[in-house]
Formats: sequence, C-alpha cells, structure tokens
Amino acid sequence: MSNGTTRRDLLKLTTTGAALAMTGCMPAAPPPETPMASTSSARARTSAIPKRSFGRTNVMVSAIGVGGFHLGGVPDENDAVRIVHEAIDSGITFFDNAWEYHDGKSEEILGRALVGKREGVFLMTKVCTHGRDRAVGMQQLEDSLRRLKTDHLDLWQVHECVYDDDPELHFASGGVIEALVEAKKQGKARNVGFTGHKDPNIHLAMLARGFAFDSAQMPLNCFDATFRSFEQNVVPVARKQGLAVIGMKSMGGEGQAVQAGVVTPEEALRYAMSIPGVTVTVSGIDSLDILRQNLAVARGFEPMTADEMAALRARVAGPAADGHFELYKTTKHFDARVGREQHGYPSPDELPL
Amino acid sequence: MSSIPQRALGKTGAKVSAIGLGGHHLGDPKSYVECEQIVHEAIDAGVTFFDNCWEYHNGKSEDWAGRAIGSTGKRKSLFLMSKVCTHGRSAAMAMQMLDESLRRMRTDYLDLWQVHGVCFENDPELAAAKGGVFEALDRAKRDGKVRFVGFTGHKDPSIHLKMIATGYPFDTVQMPLNCYDGTWRSFEQRVVPEAQKRGISVLGMKPMTGKAGPIAKGDATAAEMLRYAMSLPVATTICGINTVEHLRQNLEVVRDFQPMSADEMRALRERCRARAADGRYELYKVSLQFDNPQARLAHGFPLDAKNMEVKEALESFTNLSPPRP
Repeated sequence: MSNGTTRRDLLKLTTTGAALAMTGCMPAAPPPETPMASTSSARARTSAIPKRSFGRTNVMVSAIGVGGFHLGGVPDENDAVRIVHEAIDSGITFFDNAWEYHDGKSEEILGRALVGKREGVFLMTKVCTHGRDRAVGMQQLEDSLRRLKTDHLDLWQVHECVYDDDPELHFASGGVIEALVEAKKQGKARNVGFTGHKDPNIHLAMLARGFAFDSAQMPLNCFDATFRSFEQNVVPVARKQGLAVIGMKSMGGEGQAVQAGVVTPEEALRYAMSIPGVTVTVSGIDSLDILRQNLAVARGFEPMTADEMAALRARVAGPAADGHFELYKTTKHFDARVGREQHGYPSPDELPL
Repeated sequence: MSSIPQRALGKTGAKVSAIGLGGHHLGDPKSYVECEQIVHEAIDAGVTFFDNCWEYHNGKSEDWAGRAIGSTGKRKSLFLMSKVCTHGRSAAMAMQMLDESLRRMRTDYLDLWQVHGVCFENDPELAAAKGGVFEALDRAKRDGKVRFVGFTGHKDPSIHLKMIATGYPFDTVQMPLNCYDGTWRSFEQRVVPEAQKRGISVLGMKPMTGKAGPIAKGDATAAEMLRYAMSLPVATTICGINTVEHLRQNLEVVRDFQPMSADEMRALRERCRARAADGRYELYKVSLQFDNPQARLAHGFPLDAKNMEVKEALESFTNLSPPRP
C-alpha cells in the first residue's frame, strides 16, 4: 500500500480533467451569484463557527472539519501544521484522517500539530483493512494512535466501503467490525463509523446490518443531490438511526465544477453544510488561503433556505446528470490500490476508466 | 434441425425469435457482402428480430441491414426495430430521424422504435418534457410509421425505473441482462419485475457483457452466458454478431435451447458474483468513457478527446451540429 500511488492516480485524473476541458464542450452555465451579501460577510467575520452535537452523544463538534488527506499533500510540513493551528484557533474542532493517507504522513503531521492541543479536538481516523481481518485493524489502530500521539480516538471509521461485497467482508466473523467493538471496549475509540464514496446502496447495506454505528461519512454536495444521491437515499436512514452524518467532497472531490464555473466554492460549501441532518462537513484544505476561504463561509454560518437549495440543485442537475463532477462515483481513480488488491480486482492501470 | 423458439412480445400480440440480431455489429464487417451473408443466414435459420439504431456507424448499419433484408423480399415476416437518438432533443428532430431510418431500411414502417441510450439522470425528464421525444413516439404510432415503441439504456437501473415511472405506455424496454448483471447494479433484480408488473415486454442485450470479457478471461463460457440471458423472462436476447462463425455458434445454443433451472441460474450468478462486484466486465454501467459520445455532446457533457472511441466518433460523425431544429 502506498500513498505515492494514490497521489499518482489523482494526478492522472487531473490530466484527464484537462483533456476533458480541452474539447470546450462545457455547457454555458449562468454566472454564479455571490452567495453572501456584504452585510452577512460583515457579520460572518465577527461570528463563531457553529457547533453541532455528534450523533447520539452530547459531544459538540464544529460544523466544518479539516480533511486529513490534503494535510499530507502540503509540500512543507510546517505549513500543514500552521493550517491545523489556525483552524483550531478559529474554532474548528473536527479533524479527519486515515491510516493509509500518504503512507502515514498525514497522521504524523496531525499528531505533531496536536501536541499540547489535543484537548478540545474531536479526532477521527480510519481503519483500512479493505476486507482483511480484525487483527490487521487492531494493528492499524496502534499505528494510528502512535502517529497521532494520543491514547484514544474520538472516532474510528472503516475506510472506503466501496465494493458491493464490502459489507459482507466487514461483518464476516473475524472481520473489522469486531475490531471496532474491541477498540471501543478498550477505550481507544469513543465512537465508530464507516465511510465510502461510491454508491448509496453500499452504505444502505452497511446500515442494514443492525450494528450500532455512531457515524457514517459520505459525499454530500449539490451534484450528489440529483446523481446516485447519498443525500436522498442515505441521510434519511442514517438520521433515523441516530447517526452523526459526516459530509465530504463538498466541491465534488477535486473541484472540477468550480473550475468549470458551474458553482462557486462558497455556494458549494454552503449547500453541503445546509443539508438537513449533516453534522460536520469535512473539507480538503491544503493552504491557509483555502482554510480562510472556508472559514469565511463557516463563521456565523446560516443554512441556505430550502428554496435556495432547490434552486441550486435545479441549476446544476443538468451538468451533474452524467456524474463527471463526481468521478469518485463513476471511475476507479479514487479507489485505493490496496483495496482493489485485497478484492483481487484489476489495478486502475488495467481498467480503461 | 430444431427451430429457433418464437416468443410473444409482451401483450402486443406480435411474436419474435428468442434471439435477435444486433444492428451495431452488422456495420462492423469490411464489406456489405459479409453483412448480407450474416443477415441471410440468420433469416434462413429462423431469426426474425432485427435490432438497429439511427446512429450506428453513422447510418451504415441501417443501410446495410435494410439492403440485406430487402433483397430477401421477406420484410413483412420479419420484426424490424430501430432507435431514435435525440438524447434529450426535440420531437421534430426525432421525426426527421425516423424518416431517415425508414429510408435507409427500405421500409415504410418499423415494428418497433425505441428511444436510444437513456443513460443520464435527466434523460427521463427531457424525454417527457413538452416537445420531447415522447410526442414523436405518439405521432409515429398515429401515422402508422411504427407499430410499437420502447426505450433502451445500459447505465443504471434507477434511470430505467425513472423512465418507466413517467407512466408513458411503452410496449418494450431494452436493457443489459447477463449473469454479471444478475448480482451487480442489477437490471434483472430491479427493472425486470417492474416492467413485468406493467406489462412492458423486456428485451435483453449484452448477454456476454458486450465485450465478452469473462469469456476472454476464462471466467464463463459463451454458451452458458447466452443460456443464462435467454432463461430470463425476456421476449428476445439481442446478440452482437459480426461474423458468420459467431452467428453459427449462437444458433447452436439457441436451437437446442432449454431454459436453465432456477438452481442453475443461481449457481452461475454466485460463481460470477465476486468478479461482478466491481463492474470490471460491465464497464457500460461504470465508465463515462463508455458513454455514447453523441449523447454526451447532445447533453453538453465534456468528451475525453484522448479516448480512442471518441476520436473515431469525432472523425466519423457528420451530425455534430448543435441541437436542432
């Protein structure tokens, strides 16, 4: 398992994106309006980031979180640490990570940044068995705790449930779900959940097992709203079960739609944060500029009205309808190599996707 | 020699052969003569169902099939289908395409005319919109230019269900049906029962997953895959055939055809399940690169100019003009 390969995959995808753009076939989108009037900007600068209760618990977390993958991609580690510190100072408490991001570098950076600041932070990381057994999961937990320089996680999630047989593999006797139970019993994980970016039906299959997950993480954005939709299909079920709903990929993963001028980053983030039932929106942040851009939306955040949300959905439904703004659903490029290997699937190089 | 089974096309009263000849592959051979040989041998063997589409090989498929069928003088005993390729555009454009299809296929009526390639989330909405392709289906039936109407697509069962949920009185619905689809993003599980409930006749396609990947990899045989597809509750199974040898192989299976038992079908599905679960053999469900470039253009979706199929398409298509009229 290497994060070098993950990054290469992403770079390759960006190249494809450039090729797509070359043909100049993008539909002419109406010029997006700036979502925030100047008065609300002024208010935003002086207001705090909202906090929401995490699932069935009384623990409050910030409505926006910092994604762990992007932290590991910042060229200078000191800059990544600065992002974490400024985020904490600004009122962000939710930090995402995964055992396999950048071969552990993402967790190491976050661990270093959290020295002396662990208290008050809601720390999440993910376990990456991809179908392997609980022992692999428990070993990864020890790795994660060591790298994050902590004795417990606030949330530990099964990473990347993206194949139809993942629920079966995870819930098999000796599978990773047993590791979640064990970690909770040992006090090393306060809450447990799962993540995935591929298909609402796979999330629903995970939720249908009757296991007491504390959270589920999924892509939530204005394109997802009408295309193979987690918002429509999974959020209501997760809410009914009392789970915390963790949104990710608020701009569609790599911001192609922003680059294409279909939405502004502000309205995309606002939409994601406004979805009824979403607890926290994890945002990939690889510079202080992006952090500050997100903070400007999150400070004093007021959700879009139902009408505003419906209007944005309607505006982007056409361009969203083939899934090219959500390539994590429609290609293999976002799927970890190790996961494909574990399942015996051909590598992304062998599949023309 | 036993004959090819004939089956009822839903509640239409028409009967069709249990295997159909795919129109796209008929445009593959290097020369018309090879296409003609396939068509004639298929007709002699008892195949009556002929699939086609306005946009296949930029019209060549319809032209060759029409010429080959016309030369037999048996048009009236055959069941000719073609598809309309508005991809969200207008009824007027659809009627123009129908006239072109009729002219190329050398006939004054089609037995079945289907909306081609319903693959994007907003296709059902566009088809049902005022001035959309549904109005053309009505008009073509009223004018006696087509007997029955339906729609096709290969992407996502939920899009088929949305299309059916428009309530339009389709006679047929076409979809990929094979032993990999049986467990993964499954048209068999999700769409077939709904179509049956509404009395819409089901047409299967891609019995060997389109590119026959499982056969090349030794995961399944052509015979068992075709048998599986034909054992589903379908009127016909459309096979892409571009050589006489392929035709004969398929006919072997069809002539001796005995439906698989439910147990046999379950066993085959289970055997295929693990390799079905990432869609590697059903890339038409997965990859944007398998979308019809014409349809992507009509929707204003970007194309990957480096993709070989897109390159070929861009070179060969003549109707790249913006949506018309």
